[in-house]
Amino acid sequence: MNAELYESTSQTLKLLLAFAWLAPLAGFAIEIFGGYWSTRRSKAAAYLAVLCIFLGFCASVTAFGVWGSRTGWAALKHEEHTAHAVAQPPGPAEVETGEHAGGDHAGSLPARTYFSGSFYTLARFGNLIVSLDYYIDSLTLVMFMMVTLIATCIHIFAIGYMSDELSDDYVDHQVHTHDGGHLHRPGRYYRFFAYMSLFCFSMLGLVLAGNIFQVFIFWELVGICSYFLIGFYVERRSASTAANKAFIMNRVGDFGFLIGLMVLWTWFGTFQFSTHLVDGVERPGLFEMVRGPNGELTVDSRENIVRLHDPTGQHSSIPYILLVVAGLGVFGGCVGKSAQFPLQTWLPDAMEGPTPVSALVHSATMVAAGVYLAGRFFPMFTPEVLLIIAYVGCVTLFLAATIAVVATDIKRVLAYSTISQLGYMMLGIGVGGWGAGLFHLITHAFFKSLMFLASGSVIVGCHHEQDMSRMGGLWRKMPVTALTMLAGVIAISGLAIPVLGTTFAFSGYHSKDAIVASALAFRQANPVHFLLFFVPLLTAGITAFYMFRLWFFTFAGQPRDAHIHEHAQESPSVMTGPLIVLSVFAIFVAFGGQEGPLYRLLIHSEPAGLAAGVAGGPSGIVLPAHEAIHTVHEDAGGLALIAAFSGLLLAFLIYGLRVVDPADIARQLSGLHSFLVEKWQFDHLYEVMFVRPVLVVSRWFAAFDRVVIDGFLHALTFATIDLSQLDRRFDEGVIDGMVNAVGDAIFAVGRSLRVIQTGNLRQYIMFIAIGVVALFMLLMMFFPQ
Amino acid sequence: MSGTEILFLIFAAATCGGALAVVFSQNVARMAFWLIVSLGSTSGLFFLLRADFVGATQLLIYVGGTVVLLIFGVMLTNSSPYLRIRASSGELVLACGVGLLLMSVIYSTVFVVDWSKMSPRSAEQVGQGYNPSGEGNTARPIGMKLLGLSLEDLGTHRKELSSGYLLPFEIVSVHLLVVLIGAAYLARTKRRIDSATRVGASGSART
Amino acid sequence: MDSLPLSWYLLVAGVLFVCGVICMATKRNGIGVLMGVELVLNGANINFVAFSRYTRLGIDGQVISLFVIVLAAAEAAVALAIVLNFYNNHLTIDVDKGDELQG
Repeated sequence: MNAELYESTSQTLKLLLAFAWLAPLAGFAIEIFGGYWSTRRSKAAAYLAVLCIFLGFCASVTAFGVWGSRTGWAALKHEEHTAHAVAQPPGPAEVETGEHAGGDHAGSLPARTYFSGSFYTLARFGNLIVSLDYYIDSLTLVMFMMVTLIATCIHIFAIGYMSDELSDDYVDHQVHTHDGGHLHRPGRYYRFFAYMSLFCFSMLGLVLAGNIFQVFIFWELVGICSYFLIGFYVERRSASTAANKAFIMNRVGDFGFLIGLMVLWTWFGTFQFSTHLVDGVERPGLFEMVRGPNGELTVDSRENIVRLHDPTGQHSSIPYILLVVAGLGVFGGCVGKSAQFPLQTWLPDAMEGPTPVSALVHSATMVAAGVYLAGRFFPMFTPEVLLIIAYVGCVTLFLAATIAVVATDIKRVLAYSTISQLGYMMLGIGVGGWGAGLFHLITHAFFKSLMFLASGSVIVGCHHEQDMSRMGGLWRKMPVTALTMLAGVIAISGLAIPVLGTTFAFSGYHSKDAIVASALAFRQANPVHFLLFFVPLLTAGITAFYMFRLWFFTFAGQPRDAHIHEHAQESPSVMTGPLIVLSVFAIFVAFGGQEGPLYRLLIHSEPAGLAAGVAGGPSGIVLPAHEAIHTVHEDAGGLALIAAFSGLLLAFLIYGLRVVDPADIARQLSGLHSFLVEKWQFDHLYEVMFVRPVLVVSRWFAAFDRVVIDGFLHALTFATIDLSQLDRRFDEGVIDGMVNAVGDAIFAVGRSLRVIQTGNLRQYIMFIAIGVVALFMLLMMFFPQ
Repeated sequence: MSGTEILFLIFAAATCGGALAVVFSQNVARMAFWLIVSLGSTSGLFFLLRADFVGATQLLIYVGGTVVLLIFGVMLTNSSPYLRIRASSGELVLACGVGLLLMSVIYSTVFVVDWSKMSPRSAEQVGQGYNPSGEGNTARPIGMKLLGLSLEDLGTHRKELSSGYLLPFEIVSVHLLVVLIGAAYLARTKRRIDSATRVGASGSART
Repeated sequence: MDSLPLSWYLLVAGVLFVCGVICMATKRNGIGVLMGVELVLNGANINFVAFSRYTRLGIDGQVISLFVIVLAAAEAAVALAIVLNFYNNHLTIDVDKGDELQG
């Protein structure tokens, strides 16, 4: 691709994606302000929101088409090439050289797999440039299409789901007023869609961001949208508490993010991902500075520093430990946002929000943003950081899966499964399966949003009953929901169905398979970290178990609550339509697995050098090459499939055929059961470790406030009052007394002199005469001759 | 005792006696008469002082004008000619005492100064020699003085003209006109008959 | 013949002045008060004319005494009008009745 074509492509993509990005913002503005003048019964806000996000989807698909045609669908063909080449051992290396050769042909431009540039410079402080940039590669495009597609489906679903709110007098049955009644309030239909549009805008901005600071801005914006949406039923105490919890726990992670930003700014002097122009001078971005052309870190082991590749020479090196700190800091933000261990507790509580929110924000997109950032920021992570990422993901996936086994709230099961699957993604990225982790991100987004919407359909059908133990046998009442949910369950469990002599695999099979394969290859390269393979494998089985448990509990068997079952009904088509669309995607999106188009697209954006594997480094950790992963792929896939099927079998035995009573098992293992029901005691742990100390300290401060500060203020107040009273007495006694005395004296003199004024003419003449005589006498007395 | 002194004593006695009679007479008509006597004698004193124009004016305006005016007032206001409005004798005594005190004050100043150096000035000094015999002594100097020309200074070397009295004279004439119009207006006001006047009438009847 | 001392005239003027004051102070008749005023003015006039004869005041004294006469006439006219009005209002000319301005 020559420079001219590159430039024009860049401009076109920029405009299209900016349109997709800003359309929801325009929608948000109109909805939130128009809502004041509209009635509470108007669906206009919903249609506008759907229109905006659908236009965004169209723009994204158009952008993808433009990108593909301008690059000649190089990503797909190229990966086909890889697929052939995989058979020969030196394949990936050839790909690298081929890429470079193509770039050299084009001219002076280096081979770039991305398009970047700047929209607008917000502010500039010395060297620090805060700007809105874009960084578009195949990952960005795939994320854009995924987000806009799922968001469109969920918006349409929400038109039906939120229709309760289309009322001037919404009755919230979960809020009890003092007089024993329920809360009555105006519906907030338009507000819900305004928040959803704002969220879409923020999420797309996050994906499009071309610098880490911009990522942070939108990171916080999605955080606040999540806060608004979790606390949508703000009158419910549980909802407002959950919103606060989510926001505060995210702050913990974001603190790490900020530390990472500080380190980056201090040692790199830029936030940009890629090469950018400053005052007409091209300066390298973060990735180019850290990584060499083949993705290698230049580590000076004697001084423990990393040499930076900065042609301008301003930033020559960074201490290795600080690079680790920067990576861990940014990953801290990912931990908070993606609800990884140890900040995972907010996500289950976040299910207090409306179900479409859970589907869009808390499963498909926002929580995946942490994984996305980990993938996007991958070049900045040293092997040690990656190892920590892998272990965090490993712990999370196991922990969440075990809790999901005992949870009975349908949305909480899904929430824990979300956490668990996010752990898989982190693990995949951490063990070097960059493509596998993001692959799972995309597939998971589809089937998890599908399952959330299906659960929303169930909840609406059962009149806001969320407890699975009161459902059962619903598949006859709501067949579409049951079938689409089953598609999602099969997808997440990673099952493949033998059809027509070949295995027909749902999307989850391919992506989970890729992760397990990466983990297996990683274990082979680093035998010490064997847990990173066995735990995900075991959890694959647990996943299948609890997902089928959910399905059997809800849809199969006999109804447990006749009342609910009687009144249950299939949802309207505005809700089942998105379910069907999403289930199609959940089944087919990963078609072809690692040779399929989606994986090829993603792997096109993979950081350079990863394909060949990374060996060495100060801690001696080896990231497996694609080749190594591919060789173990068959084994890993088989093992995962066996695990998944055993989970399915167990679930079928216990919940489908009821061979064993689950309550009996719970009694037998009561300690373990209650431990899991209590979510590994994490909430208690945090309660004891953080909340109570904070409360104690707060109480001290409150007491200090009440006793010392308030006392001082009260004393001051009383002193002031006393002083004023004293002053008043002084005023009234002395000052007023003086004035009154003068007045009284003058009055008295006037009264006495009044007597002289007799009005008698002759007397006045006498006075004049006497006065003259008296004056003369005085003159004589004082001035005698 | 020269004739001048005799004339002076006669006029002085008439003046002072008239004045005292005015003070001590109770009838308004008699007071008016004694006033005429006193003022007329005063004009005699003016003649003795060779101020013939002032003396003539005194006779014409005071005796012939003002006192007649007063008598008109007496006639217009005195509804009952026998009504006597007199002050109490205590008041009279007190007033006389104060009057004597005032007189003693005036006389003490008179006697403190040695007036013997002051002798009457000659006819030339007052510029009386310029008058034709038929015009009297002072008409011309007064007229000249009004214009600012002093006949006394004609023989001396003083050449400056004083400012004269023409402007004050004009002001006084306008003033007089205004005053007379005002007086006519006031005097012509209709008599009001209301409670206040009846109270006044009853008060005067009691007296 | 011109040996009369100045002080004689002054003494006569003093008598006239004091008589005028006493007249004003004792007469309850408004016309009587006016007569007292005339007497006081005449006493002053005698002084002016006498000083005009005996001192360097000269003819100025006589001019001023002329003014005094003129003003006395005007004053008499105005005062008479006031007295007439007073009489109209009170049906008497007893100045003691006119004590509305008593303090």
